[in-house]
Amino acid sequence: MKFKPLLILVVLIFALCMVPFVLPAYYVTLVLPAIAYGIALIGFNLLFGYTGLLSFGHALYIALGAYTVAIFTSRLGITSMELNILAAVLCSMVIAIPIGLLCVRYVRIFFGMLTLAFGMLFHSFLFKFYELTGGDSGIKVIRPHLFGQDLSHLDKTAYLIGPFFYYSLFLLLIFGFIMWRMVNSPLGNHLKTIRDNPRKAEYLGVKVHQFRLISFVISAMYGAVGGALLVVPVGLADPELAYWTHSGNIVFMTILGGFNHFFGPIVGAFAFIGLKDQLVTLTQYWRFALGVVLVLLVILLPGGIMGLLSKKNSPNRGGD
Amino acid sequence: MKKKLVQNKNRRSVMKGFGAASLLAVGGSWGFPAIAQNRPLKVGILAPRAGIAATIGECGLRGVLFAVDKINKSGGIAGRKVELIVEEETNAKDTTERFRKLVLQDKVDCVQGLVSSGVSLAMSPTVEEMKALTIYWDGTSQDGVKETIPNPKYLFRSTDNECEAVMSSLLAIKYFKGQFATIAGINPDYSYGRNNWAAFQALLKRFGIQYKVVAEQWPKVGTMDLSSHIASLKAAKPDLIFSSLLFADLPVFMQNAHAAGLTKGTKFVMPAAGFQQTLLKKEFTPEGMVFGLNTLDFNYPNATPLQKEFVQHYFDKFKDYPNWEADRAYFAMQVFKAGTEKAVKAKGAGGWPKTEEIASAIEGIQVESLGGPGMMRADHIAEQTFYQGLTTHKNKYDFVTTNPTDKKFSNELQKPPGVDFWQWLETAKITL
Amino acid sequence: MTAYLDIILSGIFHAAVLFLIAGGLQLVFGVQKIVNLACGAFYALGAYFGITMVGLAIKYGISQELLIFILLISGIVIGLIGVVIERLLRLVYDREEGFQLLLTFAIMLLLEDVIRMIWGATPKTLGNLSMVYGQITLGSISIPNYKLLVIFASVALALGLGWILQKTKFGKIVRATAENRRMSEALGVNVIWINVVIFTLGSILGTIGGALVVPTSAASLEMISEVVVEAFAVVVIGGLGSMRGALVGALIVGLMRAFAVHVYAELELLLIYLIVIAVLIFKPNGLYGKAAE
Repeated sequence: MKFKPLLILVVLIFALCMVPFVLPAYYVTLVLPAIAYGIALIGFNLLFGYTGLLSFGHALYIALGAYTVAIFTSRLGITSMELNILAAVLCSMVIAIPIGLLCVRYVRIFFGMLTLAFGMLFHSFLFKFYELTGGDSGIKVIRPHLFGQDLSHLDKTAYLIGPFFYYSLFLLLIFGFIMWRMVNSPLGNHLKTIRDNPRKAEYLGVKVHQFRLISFVISAMYGAVGGALLVVPVGLADPELAYWTHSGNIVFMTILGGFNHFFGPIVGAFAFIGLKDQLVTLTQYWRFALGVVLVLLVILLPGGIMGLLSKKNSPNRGGD
Repeated sequence: MKKKLVQNKNRRSVMKGFGAASLLAVGGSWGFPAIAQNRPLKVGILAPRAGIAATIGECGLRGVLFAVDKINKSGGIAGRKVELIVEEETNAKDTTERFRKLVLQDKVDCVQGLVSSGVSLAMSPTVEEMKALTIYWDGTSQDGVKETIPNPKYLFRSTDNECEAVMSSLLAIKYFKGQFATIAGINPDYSYGRNNWAAFQALLKRFGIQYKVVAEQWPKVGTMDLSSHIASLKAAKPDLIFSSLLFADLPVFMQNAHAAGLTKGTKFVMPAAGFQQTLLKKEFTPEGMVFGLNTLDFNYPNATPLQKEFVQHYFDKFKDYPNWEADRAYFAMQVFKAGTEKAVKAKGAGGWPKTEEIASAIEGIQVESLGGPGMMRADHIAEQTFYQGLTTHKNKYDFVTTNPTDKKFSNELQKPPGVDFWQWLETAKITL
Repeated sequence: MTAYLDIILSGIFHAAVLFLIAGGLQLVFGVQKIVNLACGAFYALGAYFGITMVGLAIKYGISQELLIFILLISGIVIGLIGVVIERLLRLVYDREEGFQLLLTFAIMLLLEDVIRMIWGATPKTLGNLSMVYGQITLGSISIPNYKLLVIFASVALALGLGWILQKTKFGKIVRATAENRRMSEALGVNVIWINVVIFTLGSILGTIGGALVVPTSAASLEMISEVVVEAFAVVVIGGLGSMRGALVGALIVGLMRAFAVHVYAELELLLIYLIVIAVLIFKPNGLYGKAAE
């Protein structure tokens, strides 16, 4: 990595670390879902930006991660966040492999429709089998212990803007780093090749389906980690997390930040959450405003924010 | 300050009008701390503004605005005017975030609102953990009540959801005993619907009524296409249909049921129909249905002057009649007012009471709500007056009203403090 | 026996409405290769606008018997908004599918709030107007004649569309453009104009569906995202791009749902997703669809 971007990165990380000291409590709690979505989205972008597959059912894995934490903390009494995250990752892997095996055989619109169908299937399941899943009321999430520390002496807000904030940030850095290494490795190159020209890749001996599956499963695992973090401040995992419009928002966030750039999804997560918060406060017609933003994005600025910043504003992939 | 004005303006210019009007009114406060009089009391409201519960949220908002207007006109709460900040109740995650904003950013003195059982259950731990005085309008269900918050300090909840189911069941037994052998249920597919249906059957068992369930439908909340469900109910030929449908799907159900001939010769029990009362037109809504009006029957013959004033005001302003959510919202505000004033008096010259002190003062408080007397129990569950009756077409409206209308205080309809609902059902002394 | 007739008829009624929405989707996909996620918004627009028009009609003393015609006309009129939306979509015709999909998602968000701005957030109904044509009674079941009229209208529209596509010159041009746009263009077809017409036609089908369903149902904002799922199921089962597929798919979904509600209510929606997944796996082109990748 070049020096200047590295410097910018370090500055940003430092700025994030300072957030609990600088911003009022409410805005600190707002950064938490941004971090959670950040992790989920860099996973999503592995599938979309780097492998060229647009999934419209990614919310499934976020919901899966959320429910895993909910069940573990409130029903099984396992409060270690580390164990919870591990469970979320394993769970999503187990579910993503069969779904992935089915879906990666198709591309483009069929891939999108299949993933949407699976997402809604899970949503229906969460809703209908209420004995198991709590139905529309969902399942509670008990405050997990971070690194073995029982922090129940802190009130919820202090917990969230303090230890949990840094824990989430730490996870973002770790998972971000892992993803960075992945996309800059031969794996990443394989995926980009498959994205740009699958037939040629096949011809060159690259096992297209296999790599797509790997990408799919990794993105699912990242989604689950994001979901696990997302649900702790709320204290509840509910079926709406798996609804197809939630998947739509995930795509929205990624495009907003810029899918052509590694950091795009993280920027997108922050931008979307900040934007939505301001819009909701401003007007009850915030969905319209968001719609306008998305329209402008798709038509004028398909490279997203990062595309604008790095002047790589083409709608075609091939960046990074 | 500027941001707040912008918020208010974009929210409700109406409220700003109220604020201005009340500032002009003379503060008729005696012996209350003079220092606090300058700063208004901020109350955050969380109400649905979109979706199937939008009309309910709207009615509740109108009720609380009426309450605030009256309070501010007569000097406010302990001399301080009330100012509302309204946020939208949507799903659990987003509503919890708006709640956080109200408490952390807007620093409100109290949060009131919430209609959905799911969201209220989800938010309860957050309310306690953030130590924010909160009074729910509605949505108290049995599920998870025990695990969630055994001894709440800051959270006050409405009467149990099951009250209307219990009262409907009692009325069904009273009026229809011996007239039905088979029953069917069509209830919204979420905790409220399931609890209602379960409570109905439990009460039938308790009173030794023999029955057979011939059909059970669980339409997804908000589904407007109920023709298949109705066809299925018809095929089962039930003597009695129990339905806790309460959103906009209810008038659609009624109209289609009537068109399909389902309303002829079938008894209906509808604990929550009051929400849609003005949409249940006489053309397709039969007489003789057990109809739940919850805590407000706008047409009640012996209504209090307060209720009459409110109904008149509501009709003049909105050309419509209020449902019970307005009463719940009014009740919550009254409870807050009474508790605050009690705590202020107790504190005397010691300044404004802390949140914990106000919360303690609210325990056991008695107030007069739109629909009649009510109170807040020591275990933070409300007690209110409930109205249900048999529908009739003999009125001056184009929709059904009830006559006769039974009135019961909720201590006959909900479990006492510390007791499990199902155990209470089996063992308590319940009169018809 | 008559009980089953009741269930079948309610399934067919539901299918009739679904066909209109799915038909709109198929038209647009067939020619423009875009999956319109905003189809639910058109459906809702038709419903709300239909209610407004009926209200106006009643106010000006127009006979209630004209209900179905008022609704049909309302559907057509508000469907013309497709012309405007197409202008927006035109900007992404040559882009990747993902972006096209996203744009239709954005349009869905926009239209939802437009509806909220104009009509408010509360669901609206037409009271008991569906009974205006009386009802037909067969044994123990009675059905409002209105529902039969809707089924008839939907069939008529299906036949009409089929005739246009198969037997007229315009239809031939549309089908040619759907097969091979470049070639059509090269042969002198005004593809721009075809796109406008087809998209608007697709929108109109959706808005008519919403307008027709409203007397027996209600206009609500939930319609927008809910109907998308069922419409997708129809389109997947029938095969992307095929009108015949829309018809058959709609019947399958409509009837299946009606019976599922009766036999095992819990399964209702799950069943549909399972079938969608099964079809996508075993016969990804659906029953009548053209080649996938």
